[in-house]
Amino acid sequence: MVAAPPGSYAGATTALAVLMLVIEFGMLQATLLRAQVRLYVAQSVVISVLAVVVAVGREVPELFGLAVFSVALKVVAVPLVMLRLLRRTDPEIAGSRAMGVASMVLLAVVVGAFGFFASARFGLVSPVLPTATLAVAVAIVLVSFVLMIVRRDVVSQAIGFFALENGVSLASLVVAAGLPLLLEVAFLFDLLVAVVVFAVLIRVHHEQSESLSTAGLTELQG
Amino acid sequence: MTLPLPLIQALQVLIVAAAAPGINGVIARVEARLQGRRGPRVLQPYYDLGKLYCKETLAPHGASWVFLAAPLVAMTCYLTVPLLIPVLTAYALPLGDMGDILAGGIILAFASFMVAVAAAGTGSPYAQLGASRAKTFAAITEPVVLFVVFTVALVSGTDLPYAMAETVTTSAEQVVRPAHLLSAAALFMVILYETARIPVETHTGTNEFGMIEEARQFEHTGPYLALLRHGSAMKQLILFVIFLNIVVAPWGLAADAGLLAVVLAVIALLGKSVLLGGVIAVIDDSFAKLRLFKITEFVAAAFMLAVLAVITLYLGGG
Repeated sequence: MVAAPPGSYAGATTALAVLMLVIEFGMLQATLLRAQVRLYVAQSVVISVLAVVVAVGREVPELFGLAVFSVALKVVAVPLVMLRLLRRTDPEIAGSRAMGVASMVLLAVVVGAFGFFASARFGLVSPVLPTATLAVAVAIVLVSFVLMIVRRDVVSQAIGFFALENGVSLASLVVAAGLPLLLEVAFLFDLLVAVVVFAVLIRVHHEQSESLSTAGLTELQG
Repeated sequence: MTLPLPLIQALQVLIVAAAAPGINGVIARVEARLQGRRGPRVLQPYYDLGKLYCKETLAPHGASWVFLAAPLVAMTCYLTVPLLIPVLTAYALPLGDMGDILAGGIILAFASFMVAVAAAGTGSPYAQLGASRAKTFAAITEPVVLFVVFTVALVSGTDLPYAMAETVTTSAEQVVRPAHLLSAAALFMVILYETARIPVETHTGTNEFGMIEEARQFEHTGPYLALLRHGSAMKQLILFVIFLNIVVAPWGLAADAGLLAVVLAVIALLGKSVLLGGVIAVIDDSFAKLRLFKITEFVAAAFMLAVLAVITLYLGGG
């Protein structure tokens, strides 16, 4: 018996969503902080493309607006801020991982698979995107958590948080693509607030400890 | 004019045996051109093999019979696999149903196991190092191949290579489905590892501590070394065929036993292999070799892609 392929729309959208997950794994593996920022840009580009594909394929014109906003914010503004912050710091070749790359990837695969199968039990059916993309979105969110936990430097943690927001945006595309544009934009402004907070956090931390690593924070006592 | 099926099957083996060194020559040539060098002739690997086949044989003192048997066994394995996979035809040849894709994998693995045993028996530290490294990393690439086979089996409902190739050609949707793209990417990374190309090691580099493939053959000489070299070139072409004719681009295969169709299939196979070789040459020139301990990361990435492929299929979205 030959497994029927998903239609070309479903196949393409799932492939884009899975590509986001693959990029997320790339962030986990990337050693250089700049490389992480670049991967975040790639992920944001992919989700903007996905929004455009949904807008065209399912005739939801609001999503064009969302795509424009997310390109402006996630592809241009956020990376600019992050790279600017990184320019002031010493080029630290991060040794910030708490475990080896292979075991980190295996852990993330297990956590991601848990997300996959857990969300498959929801039985949600979306009018605009195949259900598998919701599973991918949940996996992206969980892998971002892994990224934030196993990397011990402030920049990775910020990037992990932003990537987590990408996962949430993907989930919102699945369950509520028809959401009023205003709400989606409010969502994006939440991200803007997070960027400001993280930027302040990174600068303060760097000024106080002369390093981006959070490993030294365990020594702070009363 | 139609050809008898056994002849076509013999032709599959012959083509792989005859064209394999040439593909290596093309890759070396393209690579040299991209680096601004003139590079060796495309036919250079044939001259090298010819020279080695004519030389005398020396064996290290105390080496057992396995040392001399291994190159022959390995070569036999590489001559057997083309019987099982669609090299030229889109339909199964008489012996094509003898084994599935796992059988092909086992035969390939057995060949490299024999070479490793021979290397271990020589007492030379370099050969032993190469053999133990090859087996260490192979232990991580095996699960990747398994997951790719699972994907193939879930997609086509069988693990016969011919059936998979047929499924891919049925519609464009079979090609762009995420599971297919992911498993193809994973398989490509495994092929880079198995053919000893750049991120993993420099092909034919003999002056590095990172060498794996070349080190294993350190103690072999003359015709036996030629068999090993020829065998690894054949293994490369076999993996190219599996990648191209089963997973990525099973187009241009002969649909019947006509002479014209078979000749066109040969040309298509060579063209596709040269194209893939060109891609590999570009990768060779644009990346740096990974540190030995980074190879696990490379393989872990391939494993991740293969696992994602199975998971997306399982959820019905792939």
